[in-house]
Amino acid sequence: MSFFGFDHTLPRDRGHDTSAPGFSQAADPFSGARPTHYDDALDFEDTYDGLGDELDEGDDAFNDDTFGGRGEAAVTPGKQPVGKDFDFFGQTAKVAGAMNEEQLRFSRQQPISKVTSAQPSPSFAPPAAKPVKTGYERYKELGYVADMRVDADIWGTAPKRAPAQGSPGLPPPPAGRKMMSLEEVEAAIRAQTKKPAESEEPSQPPSQHQQQYPALVQQQQYQQNHHQQFQQFPPHPQQQHQQFHVQPLTEGPPTPHRQQRDRKQPGIAQQPVHILQRGPSVGPHGDKQTTVLQNSNRHPGIQELGGSRSHANSPGHRSHPSNGRQIITHPTQLADLSEEDRAKFLAEDAKRAKRNHKIFLMSKDNGLMTPQDKNFITRIQLQQLVTATGNPNEHGTGSGLSEDFYYQVHNQIRGGPRQNPGQPLSNFAQTYLYQTGGRHSGVRRQNRGGDNHLQRMEHQVQRAVEAAKNKPKNKQLVIEGSLGKISFSNAKTPKPLLNFKRTENDRKAPAVTGSDRKTVLADIEKVYSTLMEMEDHDRHNPPPLHNDVDPELVGRHMDWREKAEKLNAKLWQELKVHEPIGDTEIHPFIAYLSFSKGKKSIQRVFRHITHEQRTTILTMIVVHLDQLDVVRQAQLLTGENLLNASIRENVELFSLAVLPSLFTYLGDAPLDIVTGVLGLILSINVDIISRTRVGVSLLTMVLSRAELLKQGGEVDEQEWTQWSSTYNQFFNVLEPTLPSIFPGTVNTGEDIYVWQFLAAIGIGASPEQQQRLVMAVKDRVMETVTLAKTLPPAMSNQRLANVNLFMRSIGLDVELLA
Amino acid sequence: MLFFSFFKTLVDHEVTVELKNDIQIKGTLKSVDQYLNIKLDDIQVVEELKYPHMSSVKNVFIRGSVVRYVHLPGSVVDTALLEDATRREASSQASKTKQG
Repeated sequence: MSFFGFDHTLPRDRGHDTSAPGFSQAADPFSGARPTHYDDALDFEDTYDGLGDELDEGDDAFNDDTFGGRGEAAVTPGKQPVGKDFDFFGQTAKVAGAMNEEQLRFSRQQPISKVTSAQPSPSFAPPAAKPVKTGYERYKELGYVADMRVDADIWGTAPKRAPAQGSPGLPPPPAGRKMMSLEEVEAAIRAQTKKPAESEEPSQPPSQHQQQYPALVQQQQYQQNHHQQFQQFPPHPQQQHQQFHVQPLTEGPPTPHRQQRDRKQPGIAQQPVHILQRGPSVGPHGDKQTTVLQNSNRHPGIQELGGSRSHANSPGHRSHPSNGRQIITHPTQLADLSEEDRAKFLAEDAKRAKRNHKIFLMSKDNGLMTPQDKNFITRIQLQQLVTATGNPNEHGTGSGLSEDFYYQVHNQIRGGPRQNPGQPLSNFAQTYLYQTGGRHSGVRRQNRGGDNHLQRMEHQVQRAVEAAKNKPKNKQLVIEGSLGKISFSNAKTPKPLLNFKRTENDRKAPAVTGSDRKTVLADIEKVYSTLMEMEDHDRHNPPPLHNDVDPELVGRHMDWREKAEKLNAKLWQELKVHEPIGDTEIHPFIAYLSFSKGKKSIQRVFRHITHEQRTTILTMIVVHLDQLDVVRQAQLLTGENLLNASIRENVELFSLAVLPSLFTYLGDAPLDIVTGVLGLILSINVDIISRTRVGVSLLTMVLSRAELLKQGGEVDEQEWTQWSSTYNQFFNVLEPTLPSIFPGTVNTGEDIYVWQFLAAIGIGASPEQQQRLVMAVKDRVMETVTLAKTLPPAMSNQRLANVNLFMRSIGLDVELLA
Repeated sequence: MLFFSFFKTLVDHEVTVELKNDIQIKGTLKSVDQYLNIKLDDIQVVEELKYPHMSSVKNVFIRGSVVRYVHLPGSVVDTALLEDATRREASSQASKTKQG
């Protein structure tokens, strides 16, 4: 009963919609003659089992041929094909008796032919055209209803064959698409309405349309129940289950019984529901959309139900026709438009058409790449970016910082331009990642799959980054069986042309910690690298602890502190402060300080060491003050007015780099430490120290600190006594040097620090000491005052102010001398 | 990468690039890349009389390999930081060599 054959042979049917059931019917099932394409129909039918098609045609045939002339069909408005369909049953019912007889007669007459005609139908394979023909011819005969009756009988007699779909050699149509008789549908729906829970199908999301059916169906049921025997719908007897066929014959119209049976066999009851839902709930099964629609339209049983549904669906189905109507209406509208408007409209239209065309042209490539493909490409691109630029997340941390340390830190310090103009690539990688995230984040809420996918993507990028990080480690590939190695290179790690394997033995450090230049320089470098480690470590300081105790955070803090301590110990060892004094000619730490690098490091070192360590360093420096290069070499020989440039530079550097740290420390030091420092100084060559700027500065600091402490009034009496005695000793030692304490002649003018020093001594001195002090420096004072008179006012004032610094400390003023 | 990193900090400063063919070009450093290719803006050739063909050129892209020297303004160089950066570079190089 294939369609094709049927359509071609019967001109009538061809003229009818039914020939191309899917398209035209979907739009308007009852709209009669509309040109259709058989070929198209062929294509569609290939894709699905023809049961639906067959049934549809049958339905149409019913409507037009059999009942078109009848009152009911004509009376009911075209809008409600459902009513028509019901009428059909009603009409049939009127001739129920005759039909029944006919059926019986027919079945007796040609049982075998019936079987043949019925059997092939389910497959709807094109070769089975002939049976179809006969089937439809029968429809046109008056007794066709009886025909169907006969079918039912045959199956009733051969119960096992009832599921006719399973005919051998032909692909069995999927169970879901099985066409159900109207009865089955009814039963199912009734079962559904009465026991919704039972008919619930998890796989089928309830659709809107489904809700509409029960009411309709129930209407039908009332009619149909009276004529149950006729409900065996002629066009699709072959699909009916055996039970349905048998029952109408054996039992008359017992509706309750049927319901009972439905309840007993939920499987069967559910099947119709399946089908019913399939039609309307097209959405979920997008791929089956067209076929399903056709099915529902063609299925005579369902179509009645679907009459209203087709209306409900109509917007979707009719979208094309309506579009066409719109286009048709345009010309008429155009006529009304002004020339200009028309031109505009046409131009717009052309543009739109062009755009549509373009879209169409491009659309042929639509779906060429699956989302997976696209992601694959994206991942490759990201991977390449990552390998080309390194880990984008690395910047500002760890190895990334060391790669670009200068720029990063320089920018932080100087507040350089925020966007890094020189490295767009890594930025790009980051931006790209961000964008991808953004694009997905919108979809995220609705689409779990997208979320997963994004996660996978992020994961992948992470892995790519990891791989890229690990890559430089194995720069060589040794292919099995080959004699050579293949080494890779990229911009970051160029292929090494020379590859020396250095064993640890080659670079074993000299056992003796000598003070030769090379060793000291190496020591300094070690200190620096440790310093940098410590600074990096500082940057990784875990977030501060809060009240709520987070064990993990606490653990991190402990780890951090532990590491910090380790680094500190390392640094301390490398500074060699604790090397025994006197083992070498110059103590390693003093040698360390003799290099400008070493001097510069002190400030940084001080930031990372404990208070005790600072004290130790101060002590070390004070004890070796006369050995420091800036003291030793800074002695002005007789007749020399100025130190040579390099020494001056060193002194300057020491004053700027080392002394401030010491002063800061001393500035907070208690009196006992200050006293201790002064005591230490007493043990070394005060004469040498006091004739150098560095030494004098340090002494000034010590003395003034003591004075400040005294003035602060928080000084322990005993400590102060101790300090006083030390001070007195110091004064006695210093006194002989005082006259020669000034550098160069009075003309050089670089003696402000000496005046400061003298002032510091003067403040703390007893009146007797002050007198001795004045005696010792009287000459210089007088010289300076005399010189000041010859100098221009600005310089003169400066000189006098310097002197005054001292004079005021002992209660005098330069004015008195003038 | 040290020099790349370093030169990036010189962006928007005036530098003089001396090429291996002795031309000295003074201009604002606009960008530099990992090959130390250099982009200069508002350029001026130091000995303009000698290279008149350059007088109409406003900006240049200089391939890194043809650069002999870059004369920098000393004030924009953070020496201490550069020292540290050099130390880091050296240590990372050393560790790489050890690995290789």
